[in-house]
Amino acid sequence: METIEATFEVINELGLHARPVSRLVQTAARFKSEVQVEREGQVANGKSVMGVLMLCCPKGSTITVRATGPDAQAALEAIGELARQRFGDPR
Amino acid sequence: MTDPSPSRRLHGSAAAPGVAVGRAYVVERRRVSVTRRHLEPPEVEPEVLRLRGAIGAARAQLQNIQKKLAPEASEHSLILDAHLLMLDDVLLVEQTERAIREEFINAEWALRRTVERIKELFDQADDDYFRERRSDVDFVGERVLRHLAGSPTEIARPRDLHGPIVLVAHELSPADTAALGRSEVIAFVTDVGSATSHTAIMARALSLPAVVGAGDATRTIANGDLLVVDGLRGVVTVQPTDFEAATATDRGERYIAFARQLRSNRDRPARTGDGVPIHLRANIELPAEAAVAIDHGAEGIGLYRTEFLYIDRREPPTEDEQYETFSRIVRTMAPKPVTLRTFDLGGDKFTTALRLPREMNPALGLRAVRLALREREVFRAQLRAMLRAASHGAVRIMIPMVTTVGELREARSELEIARQELHFRGVEVPEVPLGIMVETPAAVFVAEHLAAECAFFSVGTNDLMQYALAIDRGNEHVAHLARSLDPAILRALSAVIGAGRRAKIPVALCGAMAAELMALPVLLGLGFHELSVEPTAVPEIKEALGRLSYRDCEALVDRLWGLTTAAEVEDAVHQSVGALFSDLLAAGGATPVTETGTFLLPDL
Repeated sequence: METIEATFEVINELGLHARPVSRLVQTAARFKSEVQVEREGQVANGKSVMGVLMLCCPKGSTITVRATGPDAQAALEAIGELARQRFGDPR
Repeated sequence: MTDPSPSRRLHGSAAAPGVAVGRAYVVERRRVSVTRRHLEPPEVEPEVLRLRGAIGAARAQLQNIQKKLAPEASEHSLILDAHLLMLDDVLLVEQTERAIREEFINAEWALRRTVERIKELFDQADDDYFRERRSDVDFVGERVLRHLAGSPTEIARPRDLHGPIVLVAHELSPADTAALGRSEVIAFVTDVGSATSHTAIMARALSLPAVVGAGDATRTIANGDLLVVDGLRGVVTVQPTDFEAATATDRGERYIAFARQLRSNRDRPARTGDGVPIHLRANIELPAEAAVAIDHGAEGIGLYRTEFLYIDRREPPTEDEQYETFSRIVRTMAPKPVTLRTFDLGGDKFTTALRLPREMNPALGLRAVRLALREREVFRAQLRAMLRAASHGAVRIMIPMVTTVGELREARSELEIARQELHFRGVEVPEVPLGIMVETPAAVFVAEHLAAECAFFSVGTNDLMQYALAIDRGNEHVAHLARSLDPAILRALSAVIGAGRRAKIPVALCGAMAAELMALPVLLGLGFHELSVEPTAVPEIKEALGRLSYRDCEALVDRLWGLTTAAEVEDAVHQSVGALFSDLLAAGGATPVTETGTFLLPDL
C-alpha cells in the first residue's frame, strides 16, 4: 500500500492544544487510511488524541502527516484544509 | 455565632470574579484503590469485555452530562468532547487490552498502569499547557476505574449540608463541575491550577467566583466550614467573623451590581467627588483583554505589555504579526487612546525568542531599552508595527526602563529610522507621541531633562520600588518591606510629577500602586490625573475615586511630608480616608487586584 505525506505549519495561536487536536483526530477518523503525525522525529497515531497531544506542537511548529490506505489522498487534503483553518481555532 | 479564633486566609489565583459566602463541601475524591489480580486463561476475554463495558458506561455518562449542559457552556462541552475522544483513544484502550490478554492481569490494574505511563509521557513535555494535559488523562482513567470498581462516580451533594455550597477540591474535572449543576454550587476553590485550568475556565463560563491554586485548601478546610471566596482578589477566608462574612456579602453584591451597571456605568467618566476628571485606563497583556477593558469602563489602554508576543517562541514575531495584534487592540479601543510599550524583555521575564545569556543579577542586566538598543533590527520591526497601527486610532509609544537621556535620544532616532523605512516602502504614518516609563531612580533624578525631550511619563511603581528601596520583590524575606507609602517613594513620585508639570507633559501611573485603595488619595494629592490598572479593578477604583475629594487629598499630602516612616504615612492616610473605604477594604484588605489580567483568556 502506498504512503503519501504532506507537511503543514501549525498557525493557531495556542498550538495543537486539546481542542484542535480533537478536530484533527475526528477528521482523521473519518477515513479508512492509517494516519500518522510526525514532529521532530516523534511519531503519533493521527487517530489518537493523546498521541497527538504528546507531540506538543506549539504555534510555528511543522508537522508531517502521512496517510496509508485507499483514501489516503482525501485524508491528507481534509487534514491540510483543517490546518489552514487553524484547526478550527478563532486565532 | 462568631468563632473566637481568628479567621484564616488562603491565597491563590483569582480565577473567576465575584465574591461568595457559603459552607464548604470538601470533595475527597480519593483515587480508586486498585489491586493486581492474576487471571486464569478462561477469564481473559470476559475481563476485556468488562473493560469495554466500563468504557461504554463512562462514555454514556459523559454524553449524558454533556446533554444537560446549558448552551452558553460551550467551553465546557468542548472539553468534554476531548475527554470522550480520549476514552476511546487507541493508546489507552489497546494498550490496556493488550496488557490484559498478554500478561493475564485484571482490567483495573492494566488500566491504571496504562494511565500512569501516558501521564509520564506528558510529564516530559517542556510546555506547561501540555504538561497539564496529564490531568485530563487522569480524569478519564479514574472515571473508567470507578465504573470497573462499581464505586459511585458523581460528586453528590452531601445530605447534611444545607444552603449554598462552596466546592473545595484538589482539582475539579469538567464533568464534575457540569454534573453538579449551578443551582447548588456558588463558588469553587482548588488546591492546584492556574487561571488557564479547567476549573477557572468553567467557573468563568458559569459566572461563579473561583480561587484556584490555593495550596492545601482540601487539607486545611473542613466540611461545613463557612468560607468567603473572593474571586476578585484570589483570597479564601476560612471561618470568617460575622463582620467579615457580612462585608464580603456586601462586596459580592456590589460586584454583581457593578457587573449589572457596567453597561450604564462604563461610559460615565471617572472623576473625584468634587468633580475633578481622572483618566482611568487599563493595563493589558493579551489582545483579548481590550474588550474586557471596555466592558469594565476603562478610558483607554494605559499600558500594553508587548513582551507577551516574544515569549515561548523560537523567533521574534514579525512586523506584520505585531502590526495585526496592535491594530486589533487599537481598533477595538478607538477613539480611546492606547499606550504601546516596547518590549520589556530580559530581567525576570523569560524569553526564548531572543537568546539571552544567564545573568547573575537580571534586574540590573541587559533588559528592556538596553536590550532593544542592542537588538536594533528586532526593535525597529516593533516600532514599525506600532507606527503602522497608529493609523487606526490614538497611539502612544512608551519606552521601558530608561535611565539616561542618551537612551531616550537613541530610542527616538530608532523611531525616526523606522518611520523612514516605512516611508521608503510608501507607507505614511501619523505622528506618534513618544514617552518613557519612569521606573529607575536615575530617571527620577534626571526627570527634568527627560521631560524636556519626551511627550509623556508613566511611572512604573513596581520596578521603581524595587530599585529605589533595594528590595527584590521575589525574595520572601524582604518583600514585605516594600511599602508603596514609604516616604522615599512619595518623594520620588512628587519629583516626577513636578518635572512633568514644569515641562507641561502628562504624568501617568501604571504600577500596582494605582489599584491600592489606600494609595489612591495620596496619588491624587500628589497630582496624578491618569492612572492605569488591571481591567477588572477599574470599576472599584472608579467607585473609590468618586468618594474622594481632590482638595482633601491635596491637603492630606501636605500633611504627609513631615512624617518619617511608611507606618506613619499609612496611619495618617487610614485616619483620613479609612472610613470612606471601610466597606471596600474589609473583605480583602488593601491588596491590589493581581493576576486578573488573565480573566478572559479565551482558550483552554
